[in-house]
Amino acid sequence: MEKHIPVLLVDDETAFRDALARRLDKRGIEVRQAGDGEEALELMSQYPAEVVIMDVRMPGMDGLTALKHIKANYPSTEVILLTGQACTDDGVAGMKLGAFDYLGKPVELERLIAHIDLARERLTRRREAEAEAEFRAQVSERMAAAERLAALGTLAAGVAHEINNPLAIISESRGWLETRLAKDAGLSPETRKAGELALSKIAAGVERAKQITHQLLGFARRTDWEVREVDLAGLANEVVDLVKKTAENSGAELISKVEPATHLWSDPHGLRQVLLNLATNGLQAVNSGGRVEITAGQSGDRMVIAVRDNGVGIPKENLKRIFEPFFTTKPPGQGTGLGLSVSQGIVDKLGGSIEVESKVGAGSTFRVILPKRPPVAPLSLEQGPWGGGEEAS
Amino acid sequence: MSISIGVLLVDDERDFVEMLGLRLEEEGHRVATAFSGEAALGALEESHEITDVVVLDLKMPGLDGVETLKAIKERWPLLEVILLTGHGTIDSAVAGLKSGAFDYLLKPADFGELLEKLDQARRLKWEQEERMRLAEAKLMGRRSGGLL
Repeated sequence: MEKHIPVLLVDDETAFRDALARRLDKRGIEVRQAGDGEEALELMSQYPAEVVIMDVRMPGMDGLTALKHIKANYPSTEVILLTGQACTDDGVAGMKLGAFDYLGKPVELERLIAHIDLARERLTRRREAEAEAEFRAQVSERMAAAERLAALGTLAAGVAHEINNPLAIISESRGWLETRLAKDAGLSPETRKAGELALSKIAAGVERAKQITHQLLGFARRTDWEVREVDLAGLANEVVDLVKKTAENSGAELISKVEPATHLWSDPHGLRQVLLNLATNGLQAVNSGGRVEITAGQSGDRMVIAVRDNGVGIPKENLKRIFEPFFTTKPPGQGTGLGLSVSQGIVDKLGGSIEVESKVGAGSTFRVILPKRPPVAPLSLEQGPWGGGEEAS
Repeated sequence: MSISIGVLLVDDERDFVEMLGLRLEEEGHRVATAFSGEAALGALEESHEITDVVVLDLKMPGLDGVETLKAIKERWPLLEVILLTGHGTIDSAVAGLKSGAFDYLLKPADFGELLEKLDQARRLKWEQEERMRLAEAKLMGRRSGGLL
């Protein structure tokens, strides 16, 4: 169970406070105690509580004043007010000031606990919403950056290609001159020396320009990966369409049972490749009349995408080898043995894993387990196309 | 001196073809040049018997490298082809290898590496020609044996 920060209980009646604290403690809710508003604020500054239970009528700083301070300084803290039986006004005033709710004294323990749970739930939901919003902001910033990089990449690639051609001409001309120079016995030593010096400078210059064009091209390639919100049902249907022919030819059936509006954040191209590989494998494993099914479901903060077939299954001794590159049991020409190792590489990059379960004669299930939100890599715009400072000479 | 190889250089960059040709000639090879895929096929009509290896740029206007390669391999399957490719066209290079190219080099290519690949390609072609000759001779021998 989730470990909670202790609740802060504020009441001037020591006996009532102690009794309530004991009963809450028995129910697994840890409590810190304060005797009035000032003490409550003092404790908050040391141990900020997520949930405060506070009497309204207290000598010194009363509950409503303390509530104002708490809401001003700890806006995410939820405050449950305790009011006298006939003092609904206090409760309403408290709600206006941002209290989570109010309960009349004498306090019914079950109701109080239910309120604490509700307050904690609201906190969790708010935190999740905040994390989601922050993540969305990060991703959209990253996508904008990726678009800029892609545009820059296209330009860079074009420039690099255009430069490579004249570079090749310079390089070959230099090489030819060098050969001629070496073969010509009639040259004066000075001329030979001057020629060799010049040629070596040209070679160094060409080499430098070559480095730059290669880096530009490398930079252009780096923008392939993009994380965005993926409509999994749509993606699975695309995969079904792509291998429909293969399925029809083998007399097997491929269906997606992914519910509409199933979303996760991932690289759609990579994910499509993985599903395509798994679906193709599945179809190759089933005989005519067989069936391959794509499903998806959430498990905590993970998305589990399963590709299940009722085909021949994988013998135990092969199970640990299937992710090795070039491992295949298919006849030559029908499989490269790269599908699963490539898929695993992609899923790795997406922060997930692939699991397999198989029984000979009954079929196999491949599960792709992905975070609903992969870690967003830090932006590297500042680095520029030359990848850091090491080559800034 | 190494064995003289019959090379056909095909690239729409004329200066490149010219300079690379001069260098290969300096190394003792026999060099012909063409500046397009179409011109290469035309040149081979005349000279395929004295050509061992075609060095072919992938990116050309008109018939591109892969198309030219396919046409060459269809007409003269024993001719070996080395592709020249930029970094961004690795995919086409892979397609080229599937269509029967001997190998590929990234542009701007290292001259030493090109010489090495030319020699490997030449050797492969000569071995295959030798095998064909032997097979034909065997066939002829069996036929004449049958007649006797």
